[in-house]
Amino acid sequence: MRLPFRGFNAILYKEFLVVFRDPLTLFFMFFPPLIQLIAFGFALDTDVKHVATLVLDEDRTNESRELIDQFINTQTFRRVGEARSITGLAEAIRRGQAYVGLQIPPGFARDLQAGRTARIQVLIDGSNSTIASSSLNTALNVGFRNAMLRLAARTGLHDLPVEVRPQILYNPEMRSPNFFVPGVIGLVLQIATMFASAMALVRERERGTLEQLLVSPLSRWGLMAGKLVPYLCISLLMAVSLIVIMQWVFHVPVAGDSRALLLATVLYIFALLSLGLLISTHAQNQIQALQMCMIFILPSVFFSGFIFPRETMPWIFYAIGTVLPATYYIELQRAIVLRGASVADFWLNFVVLAGMGLAVFSLCALRFKQKLA
Amino acid sequence: MSREAMIECEGLTKRFGHFTAVDHVSFKIEKGSIFGFLGPNGSGKSTVIRLLCGLLQASDGRARIAGLDVARELEQIKALIGYMSQKFSLYDELTTHENLNFYGRLYGLRGGALKQRYDQLIALTHLAPYLRRRAGLLSGGWRQRLAMACALMHHPTVLFLDEPTAGIDPVARRELWDLLFEFSGAGMTLFVTTHYMDEAERCTHVGYIYMSKLVVCGEPDDLKQLPLVNPPDARRIDVTCEHVTVGLQALRRLPGVRTATVFGQSMHLLADKDVSEEFIRAKLAQAGIPHADIRPMAPSLEDVFVALTQQRDNGGDT
Repeated sequence: MRLPFRGFNAILYKEFLVVFRDPLTLFFMFFPPLIQLIAFGFALDTDVKHVATLVLDEDRTNESRELIDQFINTQTFRRVGEARSITGLAEAIRRGQAYVGLQIPPGFARDLQAGRTARIQVLIDGSNSTIASSSLNTALNVGFRNAMLRLAARTGLHDLPVEVRPQILYNPEMRSPNFFVPGVIGLVLQIATMFASAMALVRERERGTLEQLLVSPLSRWGLMAGKLVPYLCISLLMAVSLIVIMQWVFHVPVAGDSRALLLATVLYIFALLSLGLLISTHAQNQIQALQMCMIFILPSVFFSGFIFPRETMPWIFYAIGTVLPATYYIELQRAIVLRGASVADFWLNFVVLAGMGLAVFSLCALRFKQKLA
Repeated sequence: MSREAMIECEGLTKRFGHFTAVDHVSFKIEKGSIFGFLGPNGSGKSTVIRLLCGLLQASDGRARIAGLDVARELEQIKALIGYMSQKFSLYDELTTHENLNFYGRLYGLRGGALKQRYDQLIALTHLAPYLRRRAGLLSGGWRQRLAMACALMHHPTVLFLDEPTAGIDPVARRELWDLLFEFSGAGMTLFVTTHYMDEAERCTHVGYIYMSKLVVCGEPDDLKQLPLVNPPDARRIDVTCEHVTVGLQALRRLPGVRTATVFGQSMHLLADKDVSEEFIRAKLAQAGIPHADIRPMAPSLEDVFVALTQQRDNGGDT
């Protein structure tokens, strides 16, 4: 009689002891993700506000001052000083003293009163695309609104004919942490869990203890499950602490059911640990295992939809994203944490994550050779 | 006459790419034997052990343990064999106690049976003072005992030991052999690789592997009777004297002296029968060594292996 999970208990007993005996491994599992979360969470802020702006007011009239105030009142621009000339303005932007230069040429008020087109010039530093596009939009809006109001006044209307009232759902203040932190959790979990399980078998191979396991009646499923379960427990503990930090440090509340979030996290970690184990069964040493992990980790930063929306990617990158567990988990995180989505709304993501985990885990057990060569 | 064969192999061969690590090795080891497996580094000793334990797949030939085929019935075999690898593969972070517990559980021992076997092996190996110490902090001798205790947890009937005494102090070495004799007396079959000739002399059977081929296999006394080792027209002489290195230079050049090697305070010669004691004495005196004790001697296992290796190198066949 062959039990499919023979030896599981023994491996579980040993792995738990080894993990807690080796504080360095535990430290490297816990510490970097925490630091990464905090660093990423604070650094990844795409809210464009208070952009350094230089003003060159050559008109010096009430109208010109009013327009400048309208710019500053958007909160997008922050006045950092005055320029003397248009070359001085361009020079200051080149030197990085300001991102935006606002020039109001002489005759601005006069042109307005005469009914001619009054021109102003906005110089924008294009070397930072996020700041540039945000500044451009705001500048155009300010100008457009100013023009419309004047047109309305001229035709005797008191209100604009059309008014757009946008309402931002789920993240009303458009805070970056709300968008990024759930995604960062997906990324940092991936790094810690994959590294840990990728080392699991490689270390035994390097030390020669694998031989000892292979001559025993231990089954392949028992070995794989015994290796995976302790890391699943530790990773889950880590995931929960990351979610708590998200709520307490970054003030991102979990809008949805936290049990759904937990289920998504368990499935995700299971898939990642299985991938790590798969690497572990193929790598000959720890360096090789690390490099193989990087092959999975790097693409998931770019192609999982963490920063760039997947819909606009070339098909090849979209396809890469489709096979990464991180893609499904980050989507789930945002759906559950921000939009309060339920399991039923995103059942496909749950099924895909579970399927990936089970498939890769089975692959590990079935493909694992109980021979040395 | 022949007892039950516990380890058998026929034409066992392992190739790694173009390199043949084990080349058609055949032997039979009876129950209760201590089989000493000797050979230079890289000759294929460990590979044979790994083939017998099922860690490597044989390229050709077959092996049986306790009548079970290694290629087809490995799962049943695993419960019967113990393996102590060259590196004493222990978990360094785990204590003695935990290592023993782990290996016991790995073989399905639990509860009372586990405790009983644990106590038994602690008593046998005297590991009691080190139960709470991490395996990584044990000295070589104690690591070796622990590794052996781990390999014995599941009452194996065949125990494979790959260079169990490499890097171990002489006292630990002697104590290990005492244990091995005890196991063998209790009916266990032992397969031991070693570099030490004195260990080989203690084995009930020895095999010598050279350049991937099994050169010889049998009981030490039988091997010493081999005609190749004892040419009919030559004899082995032990010469004990002062300044053996000087003496060696003198005797090596003598006509009729086939081989001459130093052994501590003496030299072992293989010389033609007509080389007389007086002749040797005279030559030593010429070299400035007036006194020498000259006796005929029986060949040692080392002589056997040297003779066989030289014959192989000269392209001959056994």
